[in-house]
Amino acid sequence: MSDTDLRIEFHESLDELRDDIVRLGALTVETIGKGTAAMLDRDLHAAQALIDGDDVIDTLAISIEESCYRLLALQQPMARDLRFIVCALRFASELERSADLMVNICKASRRIYDVTMSPNVRSLIEDMSIEAASLTRKAIDSFIEADDGLASALDDIDDRLDELQVQFVESIFSSHDSDRLGLRSAVQLALIGRYYERIGDHAVNMGERVTFMVTGWLPEHAAVARLEMKSRRGSPDA
Amino acid sequence: MTALVVVLAVAVAVSAGVIATLVTRVRALESAARSTPAPVPAAAEDPTDGSLPRLVAALDALSLGVVVADADEVLGFQNRSAQAILSSRDARTIINRAVRELLVAAVRGEPGEREIDLFGPPKSTYLIRAVPLGNGVAVGGGSVAVIEDVTERRRTDQVRRDFVSNISHELKTPVGAVGLLAETLRDETDLATIRRFSERMSLEVARLSRTIDDLLELSRIEFADDLFIDETRVGDIVEDALGRFRAAADARGITLKSVGESGIVVAGDRRQITSALGNLIDNAVKYSPDGATVTVSARVNPSGLALSVADTGDGIPSRDLDRVFERFYRVDRARSRETGGTGLGLAIVRHVAHNHGGEVSVRSKEGQGSEFTLVLPLGTDVVEPESPVDDSEVSA
Repeated sequence: MSDTDLRIEFHESLDELRDDIVRLGALTVETIGKGTAAMLDRDLHAAQALIDGDDVIDTLAISIEESCYRLLALQQPMARDLRFIVCALRFASELERSADLMVNICKASRRIYDVTMSPNVRSLIEDMSIEAASLTRKAIDSFIEADDGLASALDDIDDRLDELQVQFVESIFSSHDSDRLGLRSAVQLALIGRYYERIGDHAVNMGERVTFMVTGWLPEHAAVARLEMKSRRGSPDA
Repeated sequence: MTALVVVLAVAVAVSAGVIATLVTRVRALESAARSTPAPVPAAAEDPTDGSLPRLVAALDALSLGVVVADADEVLGFQNRSAQAILSSRDARTIINRAVRELLVAAVRGEPGEREIDLFGPPKSTYLIRAVPLGNGVAVGGGSVAVIEDVTERRRTDQVRRDFVSNISHELKTPVGAVGLLAETLRDETDLATIRRFSERMSLEVARLSRTIDDLLELSRIEFADDLFIDETRVGDIVEDALGRFRAAADARGITLKSVGESGIVVAGDRRQITSALGNLIDNAVKYSPDGATVTVSARVNPSGLALSVADTGDGIPSRDLDRVFERFYRVDRARSRETGGTGLGLAIVRHVAHNHGGEVSVRSKEGQGSEFTLVLPLGTDVVEPESPVDDSEVSA
């Protein structure tokens, strides 16, 4: 096989990797919407189907990971191709974790099956779900388009989800204070809010990796530089 | 659908079984035609005498997605619809795997189908069917998959199923309750119990009577022949509709407020429009908390007269928003029975809007109230000069 053939095969492999990330992302985003609907509709069958369906997501994530290792080992990629593969590796893990958080939400929704949520609590759950799905979708778009502008904006966009989670917790306190919500259910709901907020954080992490893929720079590099500077000055914190 | 799959399978088979090769050749010819100054007609090189490009064009014109796999289980031809679906970056990318799996199974002689629900947005349902192309010499094996967007069909099926189930429930529940109460009363001697049971029977009969009245009203409105179009001042309609619910609103401390331009003239059947607006106000009052405000506004927009009724009640979950205008559809069945609704009010409103060539829409969010807007055609006359926006409250 000539060098050109090898290069063509390598780039086809990268295209397949990109397609797999798109598919994993689509599956994860679907899970966010469907899991939320299952909880709000108290649809235990749908919740169970999503819990079972997580195996498909896990399998695809592992398959992506193995493809990345194979490409790293056999093709010895460099520069942008290397960063692309490293980014895909991270995406597989972040998306798989986001889907796991939705599984947690489905399981929590079974524990609060007989709890009547106030319209405000329900509305905030729906809003958090929409934000979490939107952030995840934007993270995938930024990866596909190699759009570091969108990627670096995800941190700011995530503020909306953080704000919703704060409102959600306040709303839970309010329901609990007025004796409409028991302590156990309040704790379960607070955890659910936290899971959505974590999905947003995973999207921000993915955005940082896209920035790295495009520019070779990570926000953490600033922290590393600060530490090095402190070390040179002989700071006791270093 | 099955017939279509068979027709497609036969059509593909008829094309000499080397469709992928031929398609490649046709596209190469097209490419060559574009780059050569003196193009050679494609038909001259086409062993199927021009029928293949026509077949490809026909498949491209279909709204169904068509994907063909060869005997080695390699995916080849995809028509335009299939390409749009399978190369998308949204939720539809999930369909890819199912198409591939079904095609491979079909190549091995196992036809199959799968339905995939996508949450989206937008929510959609795709049906994928794959059949083998046979092992004849001409075809050389392979399989074909058809991808169909069945979202609308599934939605209609669901509406029909729910309607049958809901109408049975609405009519049978009070009848069953009356029958049971009557049976119990037959052997009852205690006067207090008899009184309690008979009061309950009256309630059930009243509920049934309301449902039948609304069904008759809906039937009359659906039969649009007796529509009496006249030009009426909208302020009169609003006053009339509000007047019907003032007592109910007063009893719960709810303020009925009228804002907007009361001098606008609407062209329509006054009785029907009053009935529609009355239903919207009735719902707003029923689902508002005590002491709340229900606002009726009349304004002109580019489509005509917009009559809106806004409340600050519990609101409607987003997944129910596109179904609330169906007959007997309930967002919360238990709550609806409590408030005495028949489940037909919004269906009546929708029919009134359609009878007038208008439309009705809803904006709502759980926990934040709802706003229903009925858009109707404007009249040609102006009964009186349009009064300035009047935000004063109309006491209930």
